[in-house]
Amino acid sequence: MAERAGVPKSTVGRIESGARVPSTGMVERLVRAAGLEVSVSLSEADPGTDSMFERTLRRSPAERLADATRVARFVLRGRRELAAASDG
Amino acid sequence: MADRDFDPEAMLSALADRGVRFVLIGGMAAVLHGDVGVTVDVDVVPERSDENLERLAKALRDLGARIRTKGEPEGLQFDCSAEFFKNLSPDSIVNMTTERGDLDVTFCPSGTQGFSDLSRDAVEIEAADRLHILVASLQDVIRSKEAAGRDKDRLALPRLRRLLDRLRADGRSRATR
Repeated sequence: MAERAGVPKSTVGRIESGARVPSTGMVERLVRAAGLEVSVSLSEADPGTDSMFERTLRRSPAERLADATRVARFVLRGRRELAAASDG
Repeated sequence: MADRDFDPEAMLSALADRGVRFVLIGGMAAVLHGDVGVTVDVDVVPERSDENLERLAKALRDLGARIRTKGEPEGLQFDCSAEFFKNLSPDSIVNMTTERGDLDVTFCPSGTQGFSDLSRDAVEIEAADRLHILVASLQDVIRSKEAAGRDKDRLALPRLRRLLDRLRADGRSRATR
């Protein structure tokens, strides 16, 4: 890998051990040497998630557990029905 | 799981009733901190003393725990004893199905050192009426998911980090109202 990337083996060793934090350029070279490409994408924060946090954070932990239980039961019921339909 | 509905409160109560010392981690811990993700199991990290493993085994027998496997919806019977858990390697994960839903026991979740590590920053919360449990800090839930690196964890991480930022901005990182 070090040879393909054209960097000293000791550099790769130090990155692997956590002794060195690689620059973005170095990450790109190493990833390319492994036959892969780096891609970075930026996206807008989802305002829907924030409004959901608003709601859950107003509730007590016990209420959050109860809410999550109802959602999980709905999901599990759906999974069971799908499995039954595919079996039948 | 049998036909009874998923009931995390019942699973956590069974552990608490037997006096099991554990930290709740994973998706359900995140939910108690305010996450909006869907989670259909309970993940716990028990303390590993002999006495606690005895209590754990009793609680799991109360819940009718069986080993979860794809081929057998009802799960497989196993020797649910303190000895069984004592003989597991620290990084083992025991995936079980119980009469109240799926329950996973692990002594050393990815990226953590287990109960003593997680309990340091864990917060005791009332997850239901008179049910007080230790819940891993949201930072530790994130740390564990980062280390586990499963697809479902990678999908959840941006949302969990956003929640953590939000709680910090509010001056709280605790699972309280």
